[in-house]
Amino acid sequence: MTDRSVPSSAASLAAQTTVPGTVRRPAGRALWRFVREQPFAAAALAVIVVLVLLSVLAPLITPFGPTEQNRSAIQQPPGGRFLMGTDDLGRDVFTRVLYGARTSMLVSVVTVVAGGAVGVAIGIVSGYFGGRWADSLFQRIMDTLMAIPGLVLLLFIAALLGPSIRNSIIALSLLVIPAVNRVARAEMLRIREEPYVDAARANGCGLPRILIRHGLPNLFAPLMVIASLLFAGVLIAESALSYLGVGTPPPTASWGRMLSEGTKFLEIAPWMVVFPGGALTLAVLAFNLLGDGLRDFLDPKHRR
Amino acid sequence: MVEYALRRALYGVLVIFMVTVFVFLALRAVPGDAVRIQLADAPGVTEEQIAERTAALGLDQPVLTQLFHFLGGAITGDFGASFSDGSSVGGLIADRLPVTGQLGLMALAIGVVLGVVIGMASAVRPNGLLDQSLRLVSVSGLSVPSFWLGLLLVTYLAVYAGWSPPLIYQGPAENLGGNLAQMTLPALALGAAAMASIARMLRSSLLEVLQSDHLRTVRARGAGRGTTLFKHATRNSLLPVFTVLGLQAGGILGGTVILESIFGIPGMGSLTFEAVQMRDYPVVLGCVIVYGAVFVVVNIVVDLMYGVIDPRVRYR
Repeated sequence: MTDRSVPSSAASLAAQTTVPGTVRRPAGRALWRFVREQPFAAAALAVIVVLVLLSVLAPLITPFGPTEQNRSAIQQPPGGRFLMGTDDLGRDVFTRVLYGARTSMLVSVVTVVAGGAVGVAIGIVSGYFGGRWADSLFQRIMDTLMAIPGLVLLLFIAALLGPSIRNSIIALSLLVIPAVNRVARAEMLRIREEPYVDAARANGCGLPRILIRHGLPNLFAPLMVIASLLFAGVLIAESALSYLGVGTPPPTASWGRMLSEGTKFLEIAPWMVVFPGGALTLAVLAFNLLGDGLRDFLDPKHRR
Repeated sequence: MVEYALRRALYGVLVIFMVTVFVFLALRAVPGDAVRIQLADAPGVTEEQIAERTAALGLDQPVLTQLFHFLGGAITGDFGASFSDGSSVGGLIADRLPVTGQLGLMALAIGVVLGVVIGMASAVRPNGLLDQSLRLVSVSGLSVPSFWLGLLLVTYLAVYAGWSPPLIYQGPAENLGGNLAQMTLPALALGAAAMASIARMLRSSLLEVLQSDHLRTVRARGAGRGTTLFKHATRNSLLPVFTVLGLQAGGILGGTVILESIFGIPGMGSLTFEAVQMRDYPVVLGCVIVYGAVFVVVNIVVDLMYGVIDPRVRYR
């Protein structure tokens, strides 16, 4: 876990400007320690940064537009003008992989942040009232959501709402919320027994203040880990939805949609499937490695 | 133990009930009239016909009445009739479920066998070359989307080996060879994630057990590396692996939706997908509920297996 400095009640009253429960340390040094201790995860972080940069700077990197069709160059193999070949409409696969990264990353970021926020809110309230009716009510709802296999639930919700980026985010959030809730609740069950929570309560802190100022900072570490691993899962799930035709609607470039368009031409134009899938796998791998590395880095118990 | 099993089963029934209510209400909460969407494509549909169809399906009743009616049927396995051809949803699912069951079990078997082999091989010499490369294999297995893996397997086998799986489904009873030829690739793709997480979990759990006191004793008595690993450590390391199994079952079940569609396997997955595309709501409803029920049952079985594997586990 992160260092849990116990905020004395006097300090927490006096130092309203800084967040109690955290010790400010130079971020640069922590990053350097992370790079040394978890080289694989650090490399994964670098890959993520590069992927984000490539997708943001896509218009500067590639001369083609994501939906621009080159009628004279249909299903060209990789090489020459078209780094990853072209698809059945003569669109440049490399360009679409870059723009697809935008879609996938955007959907995943919004999903993990929005779903994560709801999951944390439910989790910490549940954990604080652990065992009482509010907790039971929330957890029964979460159990219901978790009882349906992920992709089935996704397909169901996305199909009900119709294919659009906003609706994919809503559907994907339903996978993120229970997972984050689980972690946040377990941590909050532990945190509520800590002396500093007693101290805060004795000082007359209200519920919101206890949860936000004393609960949240102390479950930051496990949340970072689960967020990274969930990001990997959401990337796959988003592509699966688009692959099935209920996610990102065409002609927006998305990895899943590219895979489903390429499936028909597997044997004559495999590059239509190999590259978007490879990009997806690389991104998922990077987030999985980052999550693993963060867990080992933040939790000494996991170190070997 | 019996009391725990009963309580677990009872809660399982409650969860399946909640899933049913949730799915039913979610369908009704969505704007848009199911009948109108159904009949919209048919030429020359009159308002009377729509009203008639709505009444025939009981969709003009209050939502709660519909819910109770549906729940009453669902208990006996009657999920109503398909919008598209009027056949019984329960019957459709009963036809398709065994196919998906076979696919899921094959995927699970592949995942467990490969996962245990890789996990144990990794633990023989931690951080050795073999371990490092196997860990790379498992973290990749965890990251490869199953549908992409399935597509790649088909492509490369077709291009380099000139072999493609049959696209017409045959039951295991009529043609076992043909059946397995079609099912093995999707099962492999589906099992990859389970393989990866089982291997990772078994490795770390084995390493922990290998450092324990009783295994030091085993080694002190002169047991070789093999005996220590196979006879004494593995059994003690299996518990966390089972936890992973329960979690991975969800991934395998969900994955059938997409892989059955790719490989043309007529199971629950393709039934669900087709129903979603055709907006055949009774079929969608039945499929989601049955998927949920299977997942819940698998998790209860996994929980009960803890006690079989490790007698020290006490149920509370």
